[in-house]
Amino acid sequence: MVLVLAIGDLHIPHRAPDLPAKFKQMLVPGKIQHILCVGNLCIEDAHDYLRSLCPDLHFARGEYDEDARYPERKTHDWSIQAWALHGHHIIVPWSDLDSLAMFQRQLDVDILVTGHTRQFKAYKHEGGVVINPGSATGAHGSITYDANPRFVLLDIDGLRVLIYIYELIDGQVKVDKIATTLPAH
Amino acid sequence: MSTAAAVEASSMPRKRFSGLRGVRWRIDLGILPCSPSASIDDLRRVTADTRRRYASLRRRLLIDHHPPKDGDASPDLTVDNPLSQNPDSNWGRFFRNAELRKMVDQDLTRLYPEHHGYFQTPLCQAMLRRILSLWCLQHPEYGYRQGMHELLAPIVYVLHADLDHLLQVQKPYEDCFNDEFDGITSPENNLFSNYKVKRASDWDSGIETENTHHIMSDGHSLDEIDPDTRDILLLSDSYGAEGELGVILSKKFMEHDAYCMLDNLMDGAQGVVAMASFFSPVVGSSTNLPPVIEASSALYHLLSIVDPFLHAHLVELEVEPQYFALRWLRVLFGREFCLEDVLVIWDEMFSSSNCRLIGDDVEYNFKVLCSPRGAFIAALAVSMLLYLRSSLLATETATTCLQRLLNFPQNPDTKKLIEKAKSFQELALVSNIVPSSSQRDSNKGRFRVSSGYSLPSGSAFPVPPLHVVPDSYWEEKWRVLHKDEELGEQSNSDQGSAKKKLAEKLSLYRTKSEPLKAKSALNQSSIRQILFDDVSSDIGAVENHVTSECCEAPINSNNLNVGDFPVVLADQRSSDWIGDETLLSGDNSVVVSKFVYPHDIGNEHEIDSVKSSVTSNSFLSDNDEETFNMEEPCSQNVSNELAQDAEATSSHIADAVPEQRETPIHWKSFAGIFQWFWKFGRGSNEASRESQSSSDARHTNKDSFDTTTCEGTDNSCGVNKRIEVGDKKMIHTLRNLGQSMLENIQVIETVFQQEKGKFDSLDNLSNNILGVKGQSTAITALKELRKVSNLLQEM
Repeated sequence: MVLVLAIGDLHIPHRAPDLPAKFKQMLVPGKIQHILCVGNLCIEDAHDYLRSLCPDLHFARGEYDEDARYPERKTHDWSIQAWALHGHHIIVPWSDLDSLAMFQRQLDVDILVTGHTRQFKAYKHEGGVVINPGSATGAHGSITYDANPRFVLLDIDGLRVLIYIYELIDGQVKVDKIATTLPAH
Repeated sequence: MSTAAAVEASSMPRKRFSGLRGVRWRIDLGILPCSPSASIDDLRRVTADTRRRYASLRRRLLIDHHPPKDGDASPDLTVDNPLSQNPDSNWGRFFRNAELRKMVDQDLTRLYPEHHGYFQTPLCQAMLRRILSLWCLQHPEYGYRQGMHELLAPIVYVLHADLDHLLQVQKPYEDCFNDEFDGITSPENNLFSNYKVKRASDWDSGIETENTHHIMSDGHSLDEIDPDTRDILLLSDSYGAEGELGVILSKKFMEHDAYCMLDNLMDGAQGVVAMASFFSPVVGSSTNLPPVIEASSALYHLLSIVDPFLHAHLVELEVEPQYFALRWLRVLFGREFCLEDVLVIWDEMFSSSNCRLIGDDVEYNFKVLCSPRGAFIAALAVSMLLYLRSSLLATETATTCLQRLLNFPQNPDTKKLIEKAKSFQELALVSNIVPSSSQRDSNKGRFRVSSGYSLPSGSAFPVPPLHVVPDSYWEEKWRVLHKDEELGEQSNSDQGSAKKKLAEKLSLYRTKSEPLKAKSALNQSSIRQILFDDVSSDIGAVENHVTSECCEAPINSNNLNVGDFPVVLADQRSSDWIGDETLLSGDNSVVVSKFVYPHDIGNEHEIDSVKSSVTSNSFLSDNDEETFNMEEPCSQNVSNELAQDAEATSSHIADAVPEQRETPIHWKSFAGIFQWFWKFGRGSNEASRESQSSSDARHTNKDSFDTTTCEGTDNSCGVNKRIEVGDKKMIHTLRNLGQSMLENIQVIETVFQQEKGKFDSLDNLSNNILGVKGQSTAITALKELRKVSNLLQEM
């Protein structure tokens, strides 16, 4: 019963001032065990905020992140291998299915969380799950316009993964759920 | 467990299942029917019901937040997502439960580390956690509070111990429990459920199995087994009523049983003491205090009756009862004693019923004291305090005092503590009632029986036994005084043992004089009214006091055959009382406490030096004893009061109310009591001498009482004696005493003059008694008081 937050591309303060208020309301500390962040938070404050939600924060560096310390990929080890990577220079072409699949095979991950495109994707591929949580602030990107703020919460229970997608549409938070079971290996 | 059974067996008619604590407690807590005629089947049925309830509760409350994927109406995702703020969502409940479990776990990991072999095993911990979480979920108004786990732990332990006991019992009868259904065993083996046990020889022929059971050497038929064992066997028969669910001692259903017991303990099962209320900060309905604070003050109230000296000391150190009593009460002394002792104590506690003893229309002081169980709890706390008496009295600061209290010594003599507690239990119950006039007598009677405490019989308390004057004299006095008051209610009144009564009376009066907490007018009125027949219960009404005073006087005089002494007493009392009243008219509580009659020698602990001075003065003045012997009690009295003054703090106005009626007798008893206190306070060898002389003094007092002359000579002698033995503190307090005495005297004199007319107007014998003679003697006494005060001031 592990709750993992997949979030990224906040682009605070450059492209967005802050997380939407409704998201902030929902993200209360204590519920989430881990955070996988794909990058482009851009400043320390945003990082601190995420850390306040949960002490276990895994971070992958994006191209606009000011702090150069972050690694480019980060993994977390619990029952399932999950990687976060930003992907702007790794996954080329951006968000290309096959490239991602290549990485997936290379890293042998179950869950791959990528970012940068600010385009939401979540799909199963070859026994793994690829998630792009989009932009949590709805910041615009070069590919997408008018993206809705969105983040993803993973509920990992053994091999069963429930993916809750929280999206802010017209001021209302909509939740969507995808259930999947990873093959054991 | 066996010792508990033995104790129970010896002290009272054998209770059912006394060897099985778990069953016994279930009966006492109200889960199982307690009537002796309840059959085994009844017990089993009730048990099965309770277990079924728990099972359904558990099903309901232990939530699986992942709804089955069988295509049921999928929950509304805006509500049922993990981050949902909606409190009703499954996830919300899941998180709340998780938090609860975390809190519970924090406590459980620290539960009884010395018994970690049992309590710290994962299975046990999981069970405890489940039980506590479910209880808290079921009672959200209380939530989980630290300490609830300590209430649960002995319960679980006891159930487990019962199972062990059962196994032992079952061993010789193992064959009876053979429930193999395969054809190997003879069908006769299952005849146990038909209450027939085959003889060994039959078994031998019947059993041809590889699993060799013990072959019973001698045959048993069910009737031959002693009743207890039979009961135990029947209780655990899997084929009895309700089958497995009805097996009363069952490992499988330990959780269910433990939950039921915890539930009943917490809810009080419609009784008075509900442990859950001790955990809740919600104020009680009748008082404005949280129940645990109220219970703590009940404890102090009882202590003030039983041992005013210690009580005053604790109060002076500003040791509020709840500082230590919170822990004592919340876990029912689970933290103060080792587990085995706790079990013994809880045996006793649960065997007291929890039913509310007093009617709904009767006013009471403390809710917790309304039932025997609550009274026992308070009494045990008091007895624990008394156990630590000497070390507590030696402490100088609140911190050290609390340190002592919170680190209760290991291995106290539990039996003694419990016995003492039982002796106070009655006292507590009685003192709880706000007495109307009709109850006064019953209270007195009860008081008589209740506390043998003050005359400790060489138990843990280092108190010298008081000397007792010849029985006949006291008996006579007692009877005379009480002949009008004996009511049928006094079931406990024991006219037979004068000595015991005396002792109790001595202790009683001493305690009665105890200052009650001023905070509760009820307290004061309760004690006071106990002794006043006709007094209306308006504490604040000074007039009532006066009336009661005057009424008391004639009654006393009626009852007493001794000459005018009671008259004088009454006289003095009234005058003093009135004087006090005028002195302290503004202070309600003080007015009430002004009941401390000057003759109320029992007010050793008068916080109010005025009162004490008055008392001592009157005592001295009324003391007709010319011998030096008498001085000693006087001086003791005074010095006691000095000691009291030294300790004097504000709030506790001595409310030595009740004594009034028994004043003459009290005199003597007080003399003895004073000696005791004197000795205690001083710890000197003189005390023994004094006590010797005090007994003589009492004798002489008797004679002197017949005269009405109030001499001041003994006062001076007493003063001299005081000077001899006084230390600096004494001297200082003597000075204060002198001053207050002087003030008092003045007031008394003025008021006395004023009230003379008022007395006359009252329709009672006091008119006759408070005649010229009485007044003159009173005035003389006042003069003596003046002298004494001058002396004191010179010191």
